[in-house]
Amino acid sequence: MLDAVLLFREALYGTVVIALACSVLGVYVVLRRIVFVGAALAELSSAGIALALWLAGQGIALGLSTHPIALSLVATIAGVLFFGSGSGRGRVPPDATIGVTYAVAAAVGILLISKAAHGEAHDLFLQGNILGITRTDTLVLLAVAIPVLLVHAAFYKEFLFVSFDRETARTLGFQVGFWNLFLYFTLGLVIAFAMQFAGVLLVFNFLVLPAVTGLLISRSMGGTFTWSIAAALIAAVVGFSVSVPLDLPSGPAIIAVSGLIALVGFGVRLAQRR
Amino acid sequence: MTSLVTFDHATLGYGRRVVLSDLTFSISEGDFLGIVGPNGSGKTTILRAILGGLKPLQGAVTLAPNLRYGYVPQRDQVDYNFPLKVVDVVMMGRYDRIGLGRRPGANDRRLACDALDHVGILDLSDQPLNALSGGQKQRTLIARALVGQPNVLILDEPTNGMDLVATTQILGLVRELHERDGLTVLMVSHALNEVANYVERIALVMDGGFRIGMVDEIMSSSVLSGMYRIPVDVDSVNGHRIVVARRDDSQSDIAHTPQSYIEAHVHAAAEPASKPDA
Repeated sequence: MLDAVLLFREALYGTVVIALACSVLGVYVVLRRIVFVGAALAELSSAGIALALWLAGQGIALGLSTHPIALSLVATIAGVLFFGSGSGRGRVPPDATIGVTYAVAAAVGILLISKAAHGEAHDLFLQGNILGITRTDTLVLLAVAIPVLLVHAAFYKEFLFVSFDRETARTLGFQVGFWNLFLYFTLGLVIAFAMQFAGVLLVFNFLVLPAVTGLLISRSMGGTFTWSIAAALIAAVVGFSVSVPLDLPSGPAIIAVSGLIALVGFGVRLAQRR
Repeated sequence: MTSLVTFDHATLGYGRRVVLSDLTFSISEGDFLGIVGPNGSGKTTILRAILGGLKPLQGAVTLAPNLRYGYVPQRDQVDYNFPLKVVDVVMMGRYDRIGLGRRPGANDRRLACDALDHVGILDLSDQPLNALSGGQKQRTLIARALVGQPNVLILDEPTNGMDLVATTQILGLVRELHERDGLTVLMVSHALNEVANYVERIALVMDGGFRIGMVDEIMSSSVLSGMYRIPVDVDSVNGHRIVVARRDDSQSDIAHTPQSYIEAHVHAAAEPASKPDA
C-alpha cells in the first residue's frame, strides 16, 4: 500500500498544498456565507479552461492547450470582480445571481469541451486528475499558495473585520471595498490554480467541509483555522492513501473522508453541549 | 460649545432622488441627540452623511477635524456566527490604531477589558459572543465603540428586538455614559417613546420633513401631530413622557389608553436596573 502511495507522492504533495490553501480560505467562505460563490468561481475557472482548449482546437491560440490556466485565471478574476464588488445586487437576489453564474459557466464549459480537439482526454481538466500532478505542478501550486497564505496571515485583522462587521470597519476608515475585493482575489487565485488539478468537486469540498469541521469543533477563530487545516490535511492524506491501492477515484475518496471527519466534528460539538 | 458636525442647508439623497432637503443643524460637544422617525424616513441617510459615507447633493456637511466616532451598528449588521470571544470583538475598536498588518497587543487587550468593565460585563470577556443575550451583545458593541476613545458615540437602533428589561438597561447605560463621562451621544431610533425619555434633544424625521429641538419643544401634541399627520397626545406618567396616537372615536387622554400599553412604555422609560441582564 505504501509503495503504491509513494509512487504517486508528487500527486499527494500537490493535493496537500491545495487542501492547505483551500482550508484556510474556506473559513471565510463559510463564515461569510459565500459557499456558492466558491462553487461559481470554480465553474468559471473550468469554463476558462474549456475555452482555452476550444480556442486551441480551432487553431486560434495553440499555446493555450498547454497553458489553459491563462484563460482560467481571466474567467475567475472576472468572477471575482463581479462578486467581490457587489455587482448584481439589484432586482435579482444575490443567491440567484450566483446560481445563474454557476449554471451558465458549467454549461458553457461542457459545450466548449465537447467541441474541443481531443475533448474526452481534456475532460480530465474539468473533472480533475490529482494523480497527474507532477513536481512542477506542485511547485506552481506552492508559488501561488505560499504568498496567498502569507497575505492572509499578515492581513488577518483586516479580512476579519470587514467580514465580521463591514459598517463599523468603514466608520473606522477601513477601505471595505478594497479588502473585500482582495479577499475574493486570493480566493479566485487559489481556485483557478487548484481547479486545473483537483476539479470543481474536490476544490469545493476543500473550501467547505474542513471549515465546517473547524467551526463545529472550535469556539475561536484560531482554533477554527487550525481544525480546518487539520481536517483538510487528514482528508487529503487518508483519502489519497486509501484510493490508490484500492483503485478508487482519489477525489471522491478524499471527499468521503472529509465527510466522515465533519461527522466526527458534529459528534464533538454534541459532546461539548452536554 | 464646539460644533462637531454641522449641516448647512444640506440636501441628502441618492443619485437624483432627494430624501431630505435643506437640513440645517449641528451636533455640539456634550450633546445628547436622538434622531427619531419611522423606517424609511431618512434617519439612515442622515446617519450616513454624518459618518461621511454620503456626500450632500447640495449644501454642506462639515465634520470637526480629528473627529472620531464610536459606532454601534444595528445588532443584525453583525454576524454572530463568527467564533469570537467578547474581548476579541471589543479589540476591533482599536484596529485602526494598531496599524496595517499588525496584531493587537497586551495594551489593546487591557484597554478592551477596561471598556468592558466600563459597561459592566468584564466577567464576560472570555465568553463566546454568540453565547450572550441581546443586551450583553449590545453592551459588547458599546464597549467596542468606547475602546477607540471617540468624540461621539453613535448608536443605530440600539434597542431593536430587545425586551423591556434589556431596553431599559441599555438606554440607561447610554445616558450614564453621557452624564458620567460627558460623552457626546447620537442615537438613531424609530422608538420615540423610548428615546424621548433619555435624550436632551430630538431630531424628528418624517416623510421628507425634519424638525429638531429640545425634548420639551418637540414632545408637544401640536408638533408631533403636525409631523405624524395624525392626532397625537403627549402625556406624562411618573415624570415620563408617553406619546399616544389619538383614537378616532375619542378625544383621547391617558385614561383611554390600554393599561398594558402604558405599563410597557413607562417601564421602558424607567431608570436602569442595577445589574446588566443575564
